[in-house]
Amino acid sequence: MRLRKGLESRIPIGIATFVASLCGAGASFAQGAKHGIISPTIAWNETWHDVLVDLFVIGGIFGVVAIYLLIKYRAKSPDAVGDGPKLNFDKALAWALVPAALFMADDFLLSAKGWSLWNIQRTVPKDALEVNVKASQWAFEFDYGNGVVDGDLIVPVGKPIVLRMTATDVIHSFGLSEYRLKEDLLPGRITHMWFYPDKPLSTHVTCTEFCGDAHAQMNSAVKAVPQAEYDAWLKSKAKKTSSLPQKSSL
Amino acid sequence: MTTLVETAPAASGFKLSEWIFTTDHKRIGILYLIGSVAAFLVAGLMAIGIRTEQYAIGESGVIQFFVGDVGKNLSSGTAYNVALYFHGAAMILGFLIPGLTGFAANYLIPMMIGAPDVAFPRINALSVWLFWAGIVVALLTFVIPDKPDIMWTGYAPYSITTPGNTSFYVFTVHLIGFSSILAAVNFLVTIAYMRAPGMGWNQMNMFVWCSFGAFVIQLVFVPVLAAAVTLLLLDRYVGTGFFDPARGGDVLLYENLFWFYSHPAVYVIFLPAMGILYEIVATQAKNPIFNYKAAVYGGIVGIMVITGEVWVHHLYVAGMPDWIRIGMMVTTLLISVPVGLMVISLWGTLYKGSITYNLAMAYVVCCMFLILLGGLTGIPLAITSMTVHLARTSFVHAHFHFIMGLMATYSVFAAVYFWFPKMTGRSADSKIAWLAFWLNTAGTQITFWPLFIIGVQGMPRRYYDYALFPQFESYHHIATLGAALSAVGVLLMVLGWIISAVKGPKTSTNPWGSKSLEWTHTLSPPGPGNFPKPVTVSETWTPYQYKA
Amino acid sequence: MQDTVHATGGHNGHAHHWETSWAPMAVAFGALFLVPLTFASILVYKSLLVGIICAGLGVPLVLAGVAKWIHEGATQHVAIERVSPIGVGVFIVGEILIFLGLFASYWTLRLSTGVDWPPAGTPAIGKALPLIMTAILVASSLTYHQGEAKFEAGDRGGFTSWLLLSIVLGAAFLGCTIYEYGHLFHEGFTPGTNQYSAAFYSLTGFHAAHVLIGICSFLALLIGFVTSKVNPMFVKVAGIYWHFVDVVWFFVASQVYFW
Ligand code: HEA
Ligand code: HEA
Ligand code: CUA
Ligand SMILES: [Cu+2]
Repeated sequence: MRLRKGLESRIPIGIATFVASLCGAGASFAQGAKHGIISPTIAWNETWHDVLVDLFVIGGIFGVVAIYLLIKYRAKSPDAVGDGPKLNFDKALAWALVPAALFMADDFLLSAKGWSLWNIQRTVPKDALEVNVKASQWAFEFDYGNGVVDGDLIVPVGKPIVLRMTATDVIHSFGLSEYRLKEDLLPGRITHMWFYPDKPLSTHVTCTEFCGDAHAQMNSAVKAVPQAEYDAWLKSKAKKTSSLPQKSSL
Repeated sequence: MTTLVETAPAASGFKLSEWIFTTDHKRIGILYLIGSVAAFLVAGLMAIGIRTEQYAIGESGVIQFFVGDVGKNLSSGTAYNVALYFHGAAMILGFLIPGLTGFAANYLIPMMIGAPDVAFPRINALSVWLFWAGIVVALLTFVIPDKPDIMWTGYAPYSITTPGNTSFYVFTVHLIGFSSILAAVNFLVTIAYMRAPGMGWNQMNMFVWCSFGAFVIQLVFVPVLAAAVTLLLLDRYVGTGFFDPARGGDVLLYENLFWFYSHPAVYVIFLPAMGILYEIVATQAKNPIFNYKAAVYGGIVGIMVITGEVWVHHLYVAGMPDWIRIGMMVTTLLISVPVGLMVISLWGTLYKGSITYNLAMAYVVCCMFLILLGGLTGIPLAITSMTVHLARTSFVHAHFHFIMGLMATYSVFAAVYFWFPKMTGRSADSKIAWLAFWLNTAGTQITFWPLFIIGVQGMPRRYYDYALFPQFESYHHIATLGAALSAVGVLLMVLGWIISAVKGPKTSTNPWGSKSLEWTHTLSPPGPGNFPKPVTVSETWTPYQYKA
Repeated sequence: MQDTVHATGGHNGHAHHWETSWAPMAVAFGALFLVPLTFASILVYKSLLVGIICAGLGVPLVLAGVAKWIHEGATQHVAIERVSPIGVGVFIVGEILIFLGLFASYWTLRLSTGVDWPPAGTPAIGKALPLIMTAILVASSLTYHQGEAKFEAGDRGGFTSWLLLSIVLGAAFLGCTIYEYGHLFHEGFTPGTNQYSAAFYSLTGFHAAHVLIGICSFLALLIGFVTSKVNPMFVKVAGIYWHFVDVVWFFVASQVYFW
């Protein structure tokens, strides 16, 4: 009987919190579904901010409570004993279900936020410029099509770029920290990632999966340049490649 | 229940053969402790090597000495990789897992449940010596020319194509893994069948419950790792093609098998570490465990259930199918529910307590904050789309060094200080030990906060050199300084243990006034068979009965 | 439960003395020499001589340790009676997961390879032999079961003959494996041939190793009987293990030969 009552009073709370968390999830989905290109980079920074706030709140609450308990309940005399409560069944259940529901609500909220960002990261815009990437110990090679193959990644500003990536020997990884992105390159498989250079930027891709001796030196320049500059660069490369004896392509 | 202990025989005198051939769980526990502290020191030395190399951009030129390559035959990159391999593998397989499920479990579980020994004492001895054999194979790294350089994760196909000696990695895993499986069998049977008459499951110490969870996880997941590394061995030396796509293998298979074990392994570490914290907090606050059943059936069991379904969070950027990354994001985040219940129960145990502070408790207090720091930094890593930037950066280092390198490690230190009077009859609470405590605490915070910050900005992992990131150099300076401080701290701490074991001040049998069987019913140190008289407990007895 | 144990006496009943046994240490370090060091000497450092020396150190250590262990098991009292079968039961959970790990690898390879299975280079592998092997193994389980019944009834002679028969059947099973391997090797089907050969040899080989261990434990039992010292729990434990090895074979055979 007692058990039934304890459960009855707690179940609604659990359900209510669960529903609330689902609503939270729905709201963040709706947010993600805007029109136009959303830069995964900017979206990452925004989500990171939200996640940090969430964690600071949780950490703050638990941290402050810990400090309070540790100071408040110092022994008054050496052989004093504690007076901790012995929970009855209802209270014990409440102390399990309520926090569990709250934690779950937060987990679902974070999942939803994460998922919306994920949708941005994994939905490649239709007009994206495609570049093939090949990694081997210890260099990246970029194939722009039309026979242009280069060790650097040069892209036009304002156009989404999608990379189709593979490796020849062991696993490498394409770490583009300035754009908050990363994905592995696997021998025998093709993976992809896309990014959106919305302004001119000169940075590097670094290999972020351990691949041996010179793993730390495996990198390439990544430059986002104005469209005109990009076209010119591509043209000069195309000329060079065609004047050279046939270079191996992907 | 009185805390009086009848006079009972304490076997005296030191006989080497009684130690190395022992089948007594307490002595086996201490053999585990010695082995794991040795692994910790050598792995710590490698950490110093790592930090020295990363101190500044460019090659330090000394990393070769750390890995025993006096003739400098290895490049700085390779030497660094060897050091990092040893650091990671030895810290996890050689120090934490044996320290917690070997030393702590062996020393404490039989006494806490009122048993004279474990169910299979000889198999227990086999476990400890297999562990030592594993340590021997790992240490061969420093003498062979083709040192393994594959990191503790040993990802194929690199581990198949490297000139380094992958087989010693595999055999270390085999020996220590087999040791773990046997230990799991032993302790699961011991806990289930050897509790003192009258002791129900809900009367067990929290540490026993936590270890029970850890051993179930060991039993189920270690075998899969054993299978994975066996296939690695075959691929590398027998010519099969499981993991090498060049030979028709599957590139992601090894990663999946590896993390299928190695994620649960973090809870094999986390659970007993929490168990130690519970014991110390309950004793020092003279309080019962707050909401014991929620912590056990919600927390420990919850972790046991969820832990097998989250491993893909280590493969978020590894090219797994999109849907599985999302699925495992949700399960990974849900781990915060059982962990959160355990945290609430730990915090609640302080509530209305009567807390006295000693050295063990000081480490425990640190641990409470380290759980928050390390655990909450796991949350962004759990979110797939956040990890797309954070994976394989120093942010991950900061996460697991806070939760594992510090929280779990400190729990082992705390256990040594807390049960030192039990093991030796002497106290390890000394000025040196307190100095070591402050050096450790300050040193490690100084080491890992900079890694945190540069991690978010994209400092990649496993980089011995970082010429592209000059902006991070000053952070690396600071981190190395911190590591130097903690090295002094660790040395003083271990020195303190040795000195205290020989001539520390003698203590009473139950210096902390605990109500747990290992304190109330045995001598310090306990003799063979543990209990002067067979123990029975009443239906209302609990190990945390402080209030009359 | 363990109230029969004298509290100060450990599992031996004698007060005030530390239990010791050198057997576990001998087995552990014997295994260290026998497996990692021998393997590395021969396959990594290509030195047969050092390999033989390592094996030469390892084998006697393991054998001596096991012999000592079995002897002690037969002559000393244990802390709690009748718990060993539960111990193997728990251990078998671990074993099952090793096999699952291997199976999972096999399934992954097979399913990611696509339609043409078995891959090129696979000779026709007879289905008759595995059926015979299955029959042999099942028979051996039954004979051992008979033996156990005899043992329980106190008929030691009866047990010994059934045990012998089980050993012979186990050996016949291994003989079939060796014959099959030899045959396949001859046709150029080695572990490195393709994905199927990798899975084939790792699964059947790992299972055969279990059969070997089972036979060894039977031999140890046999020797124990000859010297008339045997722990009844050992009879049971060896039986449970043998039945497990038998059951696993159904999975190995069905997956490897008939899928
Ligand atoms: C003891 C060891 C330990 C423990 C306990 C944990 C705990 C957790 N870890 Fe960690 N982890 C490691 C050791 C550990 N980890 C190691 C060694 C690696 C790197 C391996 C390598 O690559 O070499 C790693 C890497 C790692 C990754 C992969 C990163 C990458 O390589 O890209 C991820 C991703 O999800 C992760 C997540 C988590 C999570 C979510 C938890 C959770 O269990 C944390 C739960 C705890 C809390 C959340 C705090 C307390 C709870 C509350 C206060 C309740 C309220 C909270 C909420 C509602 C959020 N860890
Ligand atoms: C229990 C786990 C644990 C612990 C305690 C530590 C402790 C430390 N770790 Fe470790 N670390 C890992 C587990 C752990 N680590 C893992 C799993 C990795 C990942 C590996 C990988 O990428 O594969 C890692 C990686 C890792 C890196 C990343 C390197 C890279 O990716 O490029 C760094 C860098 O700073 C580091 C530093 C440190 C430091 C300074 C300590 C300090 O706290 C250490 C303090 C201890 C000492 C300083 C010892 C002092 C003693 C002596 C000096 C005396 C020696 C005497 C004798 C031998 C007789 N660790
Ligand atoms: Cu390529 Cu690391
Ligand atoms: Cu994990």
